[in-house]
Amino acid sequence: MKKGQLWETRPLDSWDKAKELRAKWQKSIESKEKVVGQGNTSFVVDWQVCFPAITVIEDNPAGSMIAAKNDPFARKSRLACEIRGWGREICGYHGTLWGTQFLGYQEDGSPFPKRKFTVPFPCICDSHTKRGEQCRAFEPIPRWANDYTCYIGEYDEEREKAMLEHRNYCSLKMINEMERVFDQKFDDDKMIEMIRAESTIAQYRQDVSYYMTFKPAPLTVKDIYSFYTLGGLTKLDPEETVNFWKMFRDEVKWRVDNQIAGLGTERYRWMEAHPPSWHYLKYYRYMEQYGAVCIGSQYSNGTPMERKPDGSLVERAYPGFSKDIALETREDEIRYMTGLDARAPHHFKQDEYLRPNALNEFAELYQVDGAMFGLWRGGVGCNMLRKEQAMKLRLIGKSVLFFEGSQPGDRTDLDEKRFLDQLDGWMEGQGLRKLED
Amino acid sequence: MASFRECAAGRHRYAEEWKARTGGKVLGYFDTYFPEELAYAAGVLPVRILAEHEPDILSDKWIYASCYPAKDMINQFLKGRYDYLDGLITSEGYCQWMFHAYEVITNNKPELFSHYMFFPDYTEASSAKIALHSELEVLKGRIEQWTGKGITDEALDNAIEVYNTNRRLLRKIYELRRADRPAILGAEAMQVMLASQIMDKAEMNPLLAQYIEELEDRAPYEDRIRLMLVGSETHDTRLEELVESLGGNVVVDELDNGTSYCWNEVIPQKDRLLAIALRYLGRPHNPIKDCNWLRRPQHIFELFEDFTVDGVLVVKQIYCAPHGTDNYAVWKILRERNVPFHFFERDGSIPVDETGLRLEAFMNMLRPGLTRLAGWHTPLSI
Repeated sequence: MKKGQLWETRPLDSWDKAKELRAKWQKSIESKEKVVGQGNTSFVVDWQVCFPAITVIEDNPAGSMIAAKNDPFARKSRLACEIRGWGREICGYHGTLWGTQFLGYQEDGSPFPKRKFTVPFPCICDSHTKRGEQCRAFEPIPRWANDYTCYIGEYDEEREKAMLEHRNYCSLKMINEMERVFDQKFDDDKMIEMIRAESTIAQYRQDVSYYMTFKPAPLTVKDIYSFYTLGGLTKLDPEETVNFWKMFRDEVKWRVDNQIAGLGTERYRWMEAHPPSWHYLKYYRYMEQYGAVCIGSQYSNGTPMERKPDGSLVERAYPGFSKDIALETREDEIRYMTGLDARAPHHFKQDEYLRPNALNEFAELYQVDGAMFGLWRGGVGCNMLRKEQAMKLRLIGKSVLFFEGSQPGDRTDLDEKRFLDQLDGWMEGQGLRKLED
Repeated sequence: MASFRECAAGRHRYAEEWKARTGGKVLGYFDTYFPEELAYAAGVLPVRILAEHEPDILSDKWIYASCYPAKDMINQFLKGRYDYLDGLITSEGYCQWMFHAYEVITNNKPELFSHYMFFPDYTEASSAKIALHSELEVLKGRIEQWTGKGITDEALDNAIEVYNTNRRLLRKIYELRRADRPAILGAEAMQVMLASQIMDKAEMNPLLAQYIEELEDRAPYEDRIRLMLVGSETHDTRLEELVESLGGNVVVDELDNGTSYCWNEVIPQKDRLLAIALRYLGRPHNPIKDCNWLRRPQHIFELFEDFTVDGVLVVKQIYCAPHGTDNYAVWKILRERNVPFHFFERDGSIPVDETGLRLEAFMNMLRPGLTRLAGWHTPLSI
């Protein structure tokens, strides 16, 4: 038994299946000749897989992967951007990836797959709204856009209508035009199948998120991040993905029922707010030396939950279509995906704008002792409200640690040694010691 | 001119006096995508929130150290400088930093009337005008509820006319600056622009008309290197003054609070809100609203040619994500078309010596290549 162990722990049985699915996906994207585009693959459901030969590469994971794997190359990429006008203090996801476009080769030396179209959906984050800029200005390629709608305040059905129609129109136009431009038929039946599958997967995800509220936590956020791309960014056969998520959900439930912990030494629970420093994930394991487990964030844990007066925890309800609604036409599909709430409050960020106490509620639901927030110099969206949220968390007795860095996809300004020293100070200040000491 | 300069410098005093004099409400706005006509038609004075240069002791608690104007706006509100405001509005025209400032301010000042107006990012989409029209209806209703006064078609027509007149007059000042030897320099012109974002336009218009008459009779300045200012919106005229101290002149700008503020008018039509929506969707856009078809770089180039510019200053507010991402497209077109430009970042203030040295070097680089002359057959004495 490990020193300080309080709970039984064991590896997840779902790991093998998850790896198999991930490998299958990797093979599927490597083995096909596809039209490669830039943009956002998903507006709820991944539309790209309904085209026979179109692939969209998202900037965020691609950029952060480069930063994580090869810092010198990532720096070289960002410099290639900067000398062309890209601000040095702007989002590292995009700077790192588009620098690779200018260099003409990728981190492994292979040619950069030039984008043949762009669909950078605007976003609440300015950097994301502008993320298509570099390949749009690089050479003339087909381009489409959607819009990001937002307002603050109570749901207003009348106000929603025009915003939703605007988004529906843009999405529909994009898919119709892509069929024409690339001479490919969009598979509407497959889209409907995926919508149905996504709806089921979302429920399983939500269950997993709910089980994370238990003590001991059945998983750590490391596990959540490992699995949550399956069916998300990593698109697979819908039926197989649903089956996987059911298996995973059942296993997590079994762990909760039998008090099997993600971290056997769990004695301190902490939360985050937004993406972690993807280039430096070591801090999760470092915190585990204190028996401190990260239970996730609104970013990692899916749709926000709320506690009902009877004490039960349920998914926060937002206006939306019934999951059983008939979907017969492409327009139906688009409307379903856009949903009925233009504020998109089911997204973690918007939820924070609409509910000033969102993180306090999260902290209490997940029984956390403290919170760790990144302050990112290049993260205009990542920093929103963070200081105010920290003040509110402190008011309910949660300890909050801030650390500074460039951006979750840019390691330039993250002083790793100082960061770990901060963690020591934070933990020791709360009376915790490393378990092996 | 004294009144415009005084108004820009003593911006709070002007609004306070206006309020005392008229008994009307004052509404603060962050960005020039706010359709001021709607507030004006309700008898409300729209006032743009501007950053100052002073020690900031309050904002760090609320916002992480990044965009200086956003931080300073929070600082000023918490210090009570904007206590005369009755309401605050954000219309998504700038960036998340400003949205952040809006959130912090309204959380700290819940007594303010506040409204978040959606403004499409994909401005060219044919559905954008319908979405914006709808948002204008919502805004109109909110303002009516707030002021307790209905906004009539006549009031809207009057507001549109007052604002269009103001835009025409401001644009005329720009047109006068196209002269080989203009009678007005960039700093003075920008003072007028800043004043226009603070003053009651019905009060300003006659003063502006008189001022333009005086300008037309004014003796032109000597030959100067003609520069264009492109980038993040400004809150003062220190950069223009620095350029002038070195023998240059900013003859035109491509700033949200400069040309873009007055470049197009509302074309009246029966559906007043649609007319207003089309004006704002059709204006020269800033980076955040120009994210699909990238019309901004071409617009910059057209201004460069129209105003016979010798060199372009691309000046970005540090941490400005929209401009930090858009500059790639701007630099690209400038480079492709052999337009000399100089890029630097600014913060709350400009380091005078360093910036002056860089500007001087840039202007010295331009001198040998100047092809634009005041009477090109005569020797150039710049």
